[in-house]
Amino acid sequence: MAEQTFTLPDLGEGLVEATVLEWLAEPGERIERNQPLVELETTKSAVEIPSPHSGVIVRLHAEEGAVVQVGAALVTFETEQAAGIVGTVPREEERPSRRVRLRPPAE
Amino acid sequence: MTEALVGEGRGANGAALVEMTMQQAINRALDTALREDPATLVFGEDVGRLGGVFRVTDGLQAAYGQNRVFDTPLAESGIVGLAVGLAMNGWRPIPELQFDGFAYPAVDQIVNQMARMHYRSRGAASMPITVRLPSFGGIQAPEHHGESLEALFAHVPGLKVVAPSDPNDAYRLLLQSIRSDDPVIYMEPKARYWDRRQVVLDGARAQAADTGGDPIGASRIARPGRHATLVAWGAMVHRCLRVAELAAEDGVDLEVLDLRWLKPIDTDGLAASVSRTRRAVVVHEAPLTAGLGAEVSSLITERVFCDLAAPVQRVTGFDVPYPAGPLEPQYLPTIDRILLAVQRTLEF
Amino acid sequence: MYRILPADVPLRYTTAPGSARHPVPVLLLHGFGSSHESNWVRTGWGRALEGFPTVGLDLRGHGNSGKPHTDEAYTPSVFVTDIVLLLDALGIERVDIIGYSMGSRLAWELALARPDRVRRAVLGGFGPVNAFAGADLDRPGTDQSPFGQVHRAAAALPGNDPAALAACTRGQAAHPFTAVPAPAGTPLLFVAGERDGLADGMERLAQDTGAAGALRVARRDHRTTVSAQAFKKSAVEFLARAPAAFSAV
Repeated sequence: MAEQTFTLPDLGEGLVEATVLEWLAEPGERIERNQPLVELETTKSAVEIPSPHSGVIVRLHAEEGAVVQVGAALVTFETEQAAGIVGTVPREEERPSRRVRLRPPAE
Repeated sequence: MTEALVGEGRGANGAALVEMTMQQAINRALDTALREDPATLVFGEDVGRLGGVFRVTDGLQAAYGQNRVFDTPLAESGIVGLAVGLAMNGWRPIPELQFDGFAYPAVDQIVNQMARMHYRSRGAASMPITVRLPSFGGIQAPEHHGESLEALFAHVPGLKVVAPSDPNDAYRLLLQSIRSDDPVIYMEPKARYWDRRQVVLDGARAQAADTGGDPIGASRIARPGRHATLVAWGAMVHRCLRVAELAAEDGVDLEVLDLRWLKPIDTDGLAASVSRTRRAVVVHEAPLTAGLGAEVSSLITERVFCDLAAPVQRVTGFDVPYPAGPLEPQYLPTIDRILLAVQRTLEF
Repeated sequence: MYRILPADVPLRYTTAPGSARHPVPVLLLHGFGSSHESNWVRTGWGRALEGFPTVGLDLRGHGNSGKPHTDEAYTPSVFVTDIVLLLDALGIERVDIIGYSMGSRLAWELALARPDRVRRAVLGGFGPVNAFAGADLDRPGTDQSPFGQVHRAAAALPGNDPAALAACTRGQAAHPFTAVPAPAGTPLLFVAGERDGLADGMERLAQDTGAAGALRVARRDHRTTVSAQAFKKSAVEFLARAPAAFSAV
């Protein structure tokens, strides 16, 4: 298990901050990757940010109504063993399945 | 970075035996290199403050400072170009290109500068550069994160190419590459990063010169056998070992040859193994056409044609762009595809 | 993936497949100065509508669709023609609509003009008030009226064409909304933020049209209601309801 903190991503269009409108998950709750995580309001629009990880929410770093700067911590997850920024840790079967059977050569 | 102390002991020559993952083994080799040679530099995208996207360079910036372990812009051509310039000025750079598919923008610097500077300068400028390249597939990552570029780089005169298959080799081969005065493309099999095994750590610089005995270009018999030789490198070595276990249940005894060095290739080791087993199957993740399996197959045919009981078989990825994560298990050589190829050599 | 529907004014659109449980596609109509992407995609509606087949487009003058500069190119009936053209091209006979703000107005107009093409409609951020009250229509975006501020913010967004938006404003304002006639036979659901002045009178309009409901989202205004979970949940619930639920309408 590892803690991973997600910071406010660059929302584009030169925006440097956003206001937390509503958290869509709370501490202690398990959330899957891509599930709605938080709604943010920028000077130009409202956006919904999906969860970048699957895991349990450990901490929310901003209350609803708070202004968060791009790059500042938003939320900390406890995640399973993480591969890195991309990909998954390969899992290996104890006993790999097979269909092909071999016949030893005549010696 | 924590290492398991379980299993720690002392091997021959007082070298320490420590159980660790491949990530940790590579980290340890970099640490050793940075400590023993003040000319070594580690740099690349996210290798400094973040410690690498796979934690491979974790803690190195804190230990050796921002002048020796540093982050670069997202510009692979610039990363290798920087390494070339540093090497010409006496440094021993260890750049990282974050992922296999990100090496393409650096191909010009690798091929036109790094690989031929020694030749071009009539030996005046050596290029003691080790390009670390997390490579191959198996972690269900997006595009550009699962490619196998060994044939591309092995084809370039002036480059050495190596792909370790387990933590111990990862440690040894990396130090060997770094200490070499020639440019080396060091391909890390991402799918094996979490593989945990005992690693023999260097005792002192004094005995490190030849790093355990095997010279550059030496292959390794990962499992001895007598009915056929499976030739592989990187993550496919482990898969071939699984295949050998299954084949043993059927009474078929397979040898697994870990090529390790893809340039230069250990032709003698290859020929010796196949001449004993009389059958060979080459397994790689890269697409079939003009892959390194063709080179291996040719070398075998040239050297031990008369010993062969069957044509050399190749089990490879397909001639398509590397697929998205969910299709990866179908793309990579499966256990059954390898077994079928073995069967073809047995029944020829 | 986005595609372009070739026409005098090309329209950029996108479709997503749904499951067999939801046979009627959902057409998403964005608001003034916005686009399909910023109104619906970035606000999480893709996830909210998972399982529903969807059709979304950049309305003319917006996003990556064509942006004519004449007022007449932006009357409600021209927008309706665009939408019908797109539905015809996609071979879609009948849709449910989720609209927001100007998109809701257009959903209303489409249901009036072509009741055969609209099954149900969710009208978000919309009421019978004159959205352009106090706005300087000769030079939109230069005054302090509510719409003046909306126009100013929209015109400043990257990719938006201020001249096209000004023409759109005048084209719309030239044909003010009237609550009568109302689309008969199309079940409606109204949703707006508690602090959304542009939806003033929404409850009355809902009552007059026999709508399925008029939901106010707590603590939200015209801009922030778009992403609200309450909006999404009520819309999805409304569109997923069995047809029998509306037999009395």
